[in-house]
Amino acid sequence: MPDGSFAHPQERQFNPYSENGGTILAIAGADFTVVAGDTRQSEGYSIQTRYAPKVFKLTDRAVLAVNGFAADGNMFVKKVKQRLEWYRHAHAKDMPLRAIARLIQTMLYAQRFFPYYVYNILGGIEEDGSGAVYSFDPVGSYEREACRAAGAAQALVQPFLDNQIYFKNQQPPAGSSHPVHLPLPDVLSIVIDSFTGATERHIEVGDGLEIFVILAKGRSTQGFDGRSGVQELSTTPEGDRVFVIRRELKKD
Amino acid sequence: MSIMQYNGGSVIAMVGKDCVAIASDLRLGVQSLSIATNFQKIFPVTDRLYLGLPGLASDVATLHERFRLLTNMYTIKEEREIEPETFAQLVSSTLYEKRFGPYFIEPVVAGMQKTPSGGYKPFIAATDLIGCLNFAKDFVVAGTASEKLFGVAEGLWEPDLEAEDLFETISQTLLNAVDRDAFSGWGAVVHVITKDKVVTRKLKGRMD
Amino acid sequence: MNSLTERFATTGYAAELKRAKDVLGEEEDGLDPMWGSQAGFGNLASGVVKFNIPTVPDPSAFLRMHTDDFADPSCRIKIKHGTTTLAFRFQGGVIVAVDSRATAGSYVASGTVKKVIEINPYLLGTMAGGAADCQYWETYLGMQCRLHELRNRERISVAAASKYLSNLVYSYKGMGLSMGTMICGWDKTGPAVFYVDSDGTRLKGDLFSVGSGSTFAYGVLDQGYRWDLTDEEAQELGRRSIYAAGHRDAFSGNTINLFHVKEDGWKFIGNYDVSKMHYDGPDNTGGYAYELRVEGKSSANPPVTQ
Repeated sequence: MPDGSFAHPQERQFNPYSENGGTILAIAGADFTVVAGDTRQSEGYSIQTRYAPKVFKLTDRAVLAVNGFAADGNMFVKKVKQRLEWYRHAHAKDMPLRAIARLIQTMLYAQRFFPYYVYNILGGIEEDGSGAVYSFDPVGSYEREACRAAGAAQALVQPFLDNQIYFKNQQPPAGSSHPVHLPLPDVLSIVIDSFTGATERHIEVGDGLEIFVILAKGRSTQGFDGRSGVQELSTTPEGDRVFVIRRELKKD
Repeated sequence: MSIMQYNGGSVIAMVGKDCVAIASDLRLGVQSLSIATNFQKIFPVTDRLYLGLPGLASDVATLHERFRLLTNMYTIKEEREIEPETFAQLVSSTLYEKRFGPYFIEPVVAGMQKTPSGGYKPFIAATDLIGCLNFAKDFVVAGTASEKLFGVAEGLWEPDLEAEDLFETISQTLLNAVDRDAFSGWGAVVHVITKDKVVTRKLKGRMD
Repeated sequence: MNSLTERFATTGYAAELKRAKDVLGEEEDGLDPMWGSQAGFGNLASGVVKFNIPTVPDPSAFLRMHTDDFADPSCRIKIKHGTTTLAFRFQGGVIVAVDSRATAGSYVASGTVKKVIEINPYLLGTMAGGAADCQYWETYLGMQCRLHELRNRERISVAAASKYLSNLVYSYKGMGLSMGTMICGWDKTGPAVFYVDSDGTRLKGDLFSVGSGSTFAYGVLDQGYRWDLTDEEAQELGRRSIYAAGHRDAFSGNTINLFHVKEDGWKFIGNYDVSKMHYDGPDNTGGYAYELRVEGKSSANPPVTQ
């Protein structure tokens, strides 16, 4: 109206959620786990940054990948790290992986009526020395699995993983059977192929790739010691060890 | 729910060395209820040309009949069979005629195209529901599992696959993609087209 | 004085909260020391969850706007759904059978979901609706059942356990919880099955099926159900019913998890691939598939040529 008022009642809505694209994935081996994520952060068609990590080291045996709404994700990781530090001060040891998984469930469910918009994948080494992956929905339902992809390109990556990791729809040659766990070099190749594939066909995936490798105590670095750009993140080489491998992805 | 997902179903086509392959699932459903395990979505147009029609089932029937009419008319007038590239243009213009009330189908075309030198070269194409053509050199996908098909195909496909290898590649791509799609599956069919024959195989897929 | 009247008042916010706490028996687990020694850090993180509610006029409408993909398919937070679960009582105990598929829209998010929640060695709960709601509250129910045992020196009855859950979800009515569950077990009264959902419904019965594929499961179940089924017949009926749902319902399938509750507690019978049931059956002696039963029997179903 000329006087500055509105002809119709106006409604305003507050939307606290956004979607920042990207994809994460984790694969468990017999005595190692690989957790990977791309580093692009976007909103709609714009790229906010080409380097925003989505995968975080929690302890020497646990790595958490978060995907969805970056603000919620970063805050959630911060709070998980805080709780793990309290645990360390109280018990003078790192929280076991399965306990971290349950902690994440209760932390997510505490926000049942105002959820964190994040899909979490927790990867690491269990107390028995086996590789493990736990995947969560935004309100905390979780499950231990051998491999899981989440995020923008989950529908592209997961069926490929079903085929290559679980050997779905493949018949083993007569008299033999499919391996239960793949060796580390094979897993790393599949992870890199998954992300280059997702980068080709999904606009929200690309720029950089961070692959975290968690090795069980006593396992040699055989499998990736020849690769370039490997960096060790663990505090001591005696226990379980964490490494990160960085790779470039297409930036278009 | 989108009308494109009402009946479910997916189609994929791939290029190989002197061959092309086209494959689809066999499900016909009404939203979550699965009705039939033998619903044909891929139709032969000529001896070297196949057409896949994923989308709304009633439009699958309508468009199949319509393209049968149009290719028969073409054959009578021109006194020769239609070539894949020409047929793709025919598909495109037929769909664009209904620009503001489209058929709910995303066609896929696969065939062996005659070259001026008398040989044959592989040809695939796909369009959206109003006929925007996509001439890909590797593979095209359509239907409710298209995202999943893209992901697996991107990982498995490589250039210059021989007919048998192409069959394995397209089969694995289709089966693993539809297993992650609630609206596709219930069996599958694959056609591998070479210059002098078409090999059609039914695949034993998951039935859930 | 005010606090005194508040303590004994029957209306108002404090009384409302107290009533809810009484219903849930939550008074005692509010004490932080119960959550174990944390060397003086126990006060930093309370074990009891305090739900954070968005500061908007209508929190449940807010939640629905962002999470209900049925009302708005473009909503961001997709909560997984689609399921077939069943449980029935018979002469030999209770059979619990479920599928293992979780879907988000048309995407099959998981084919390995554990939809039977092992509350304790005598109690099972099934999962339909919100996966997190079922997992969280049935785990919580397990804690409360253990406390009941410690307090009363006897196991909780299935009726009491299911009523505890039912009262709990009822106290959150209208807040957006979504669960359809069957609490199954064996107590002093024998085998028991209770259906509990997030609306607050609680039903005692012989036979229930819950989820998007329940109509298909009921079809097979009703047809084959008798009280005097043998253990093997009952297990086969449960498996066959979930197969039917997995076959016909797009949102159900992948694998079947089968449990049998007897006097000495529940037993996991097995995990069966729905597709293997279709082609080969549970012991490779013949699949459930319709095609296998009609093939070659009429001109409409000619034998398959290789």
